[in-house]
Amino acid sequence: MIFQRKPLDADKINVVIGEVHIIKDRCKGCSFCIEYCPRDVLELSEEFNIKGYHPPRIKNPDNCAECHLCEMLCPEFAIYVTKKEDAKTPVH
Amino acid sequence: MKIGVYVCHCGGNISEVVDIKRVMKFAEQQGDVVLVKEHAHMCSDVARKMLVDDIKEHNLDKVVIAACSPQFHGRTFMGTVEKAGLSPYVMEMANIREQCSWPHYYEPEYATKKAKDIVRMAIAKARLDEPLEKKTSPIGKRVLVIGAGIAGIQAALDLGDAGFKVYLVEKEPSIGGKMVKLSRTFPTEDCAACILSPKMADVPANPNIELLTNTEIESISGFLGNYDVVAVKKPRYVDTSKCTACDKCAEVCPVVVPNEHDEGLSSRKAIYLPNPIAVPHSYVLDDKTCLGLFPLACSKCYDVCDPGAINYDQKPERLNFTVDTIIVATGYEIFDPRKKKVYEFARSKNIITALDLERLISLEAEGTSLRPIGKRIAFIQCVGSRDELVGNEYCSRICCMYATKLSQLLKRADPKRDVYVFYIDLRAYGKGFEEYYKRAQRTGVKFIRGRVAELHEDKRTNKVTLKVEDTLTRDIIESEFDLVVLSVGLRPSPGTLKIADTLRLIKSPGGWLQEAHPKFRPVDTLADGVFICGCAQGPKDIPDTVAQASAAAARAIRLMNKGEFEVDPITAFVDEELCSGCGICAGVCPYDAITIELKQGKRVSRVNEVVCQGCGACVAACPSGAQQQRWFMTPQLHAMLSAALGEEVS
Repeated sequence: MIFQRKPLDADKINVVIGEVHIIKDRCKGCSFCIEYCPRDVLELSEEFNIKGYHPPRIKNPDNCAECHLCEMLCPEFAIYVTKKEDAKTPVH
Repeated sequence: MKIGVYVCHCGGNISEVVDIKRVMKFAEQQGDVVLVKEHAHMCSDVARKMLVDDIKEHNLDKVVIAACSPQFHGRTFMGTVEKAGLSPYVMEMANIREQCSWPHYYEPEYATKKAKDIVRMAIAKARLDEPLEKKTSPIGKRVLVIGAGIAGIQAALDLGDAGFKVYLVEKEPSIGGKMVKLSRTFPTEDCAACILSPKMADVPANPNIELLTNTEIESISGFLGNYDVVAVKKPRYVDTSKCTACDKCAEVCPVVVPNEHDEGLSSRKAIYLPNPIAVPHSYVLDDKTCLGLFPLACSKCYDVCDPGAINYDQKPERLNFTVDTIIVATGYEIFDPRKKKVYEFARSKNIITALDLERLISLEAEGTSLRPIGKRIAFIQCVGSRDELVGNEYCSRICCMYATKLSQLLKRADPKRDVYVFYIDLRAYGKGFEEYYKRAQRTGVKFIRGRVAELHEDKRTNKVTLKVEDTLTRDIIESEFDLVVLSVGLRPSPGTLKIADTLRLIKSPGGWLQEAHPKFRPVDTLADGVFICGCAQGPKDIPDTVAQASAAAARAIRLMNKGEFEVDPITAFVDEELCSGCGICAGVCPYDAITIELKQGKRVSRVNEVVCQGCGACVAACPSGAQQQRWFMTPQLHAMLSAALGEEVS
């Protein structure tokens, strides 16, 4: 059976969530971070950076699971993640 | 040729309708018949002794028994004839009960006429019967048990203890099935986990049992004594031998999802222990909800795992093995109450299923309270059972008693509670059940006969109002409750339906697996060497499930213990001269017993006589008459037809 309900203890569980930082002017617009993010945190913005690329923008900040995958994949070292302690996470 | 004809009264079942004397007189007039006798119960020991003596004394070489169906007593009389020194296949049964006296109960004259016709046909066939030899085939001591709930565990332990090699396959990461979720068991109120966990622990400790968790059956082919099984072991990503269940991985895992063990009432992480008493006692990584394994997204669990049990590179593993017999114990799932819209399940947090309540009570006993249960509680019975509107006509058999149990557990925990059970009929049929029901009434649970017609939730207070007619007093009750519990019925699990297709098992109405005979072969199936037990066969409680599992194990042992088994000689065979090798027979064979082979440059059909079940499909399909079936040869069938269509009998 697929559960339609939210678990009753979901609000009591604290999971570390991350905060994504983007160094816009280093970005080359390859979109790896957007593509590979398991939680759909990022999206492409319309703005231009100093090199003329579209850097990513944060769409769902609360979704970040602090997995650092974007950080590891970024060829330009333009994105990194820091820990936000004791935040609540939505149930996926 | 000397044919003996015996006409059975079946204790009145036949003789009350059919005029036995006239049938006997008619039989005496038939050619080759030298002896005609009657008996009140041909299947009785004394009548069978008479049959053996007659065969010897009169040198009978063919026997016709006019009685019940060959399905019912064919084997009985075959054994008797064999005892007298004849081949069991020179005995014919004329079915004058199921095909005559029962359907024609109100037309005795016509029934007697029909009985004569049936007897004449059987005599015509018997004349052409040839003695067939029984063959034997070797059989080993390996069993596949599918499903490791309480039924599968019990069957596997019985077989393992008896020295048979058992492959116990379970698709979930832990064994234990549905029973692990229950709070107490009726009517003794034992803690379900406490009585189950020793049995679960015995499984890996038994040297004869190979436990394959997280494994699904992909295909099964072959036949009794030689079933080839292909199973796929899904990756667990955790080495069960290294995992110490320290919970560090789950602590750091960032993924929170509903916990299946608690019916989604609580949450778990993507790496988790399936249940507190899981066997094997090891965490498992759920790759469907994990942030990602390819490319590896997170690895937080790997980083904290001290024993180094986590391995992200595990791949699905295909296992091939051969077994001699199979026990199917694939169980049930609960009815999804969303299908019964009037009960508003999932629309209100105060409308829950009985299995939800089992979990809430268990968790409370373990010291975790997920929600208050409230002061006024109502149980609604027969949700998804005995309800043609949802397509389930059957009674789920356990709901009355689990509601009786849960209601009095709640009432006893807090006597100030008002607990109501709204039922259609209360069925307390088992040992100690009626006494348990009386105890619930004494405890103060109120049982009201009536089907709940309406539920609605007050959006402000979240309380649920029920509208129901008390059919005993004719009062309309409209009352507000803190919690409404739906006593959901059972349905065959998806695994049961899948394995029925894989093994070509017959299903009874409702989708449950059909036994070979409801009374005398309750755990056999019509597939040789395949047995069923537990809720896969139909809804039942734990004692019945355990009894049936042990029965299935005993039936499997009965086949394997001798080291060889008899193969019925009623099989198809090919006249290679006539066969054109068209392959139509191979296409219609439901048992894959027929192959097309090249023999001296000519394509011919070949029947594997161990696999052939003698259904006759190939014989009917063969365009050139090359396929023939022993005991049902074309000349025999022609003789029967001529007998049936011959001159009118007086």
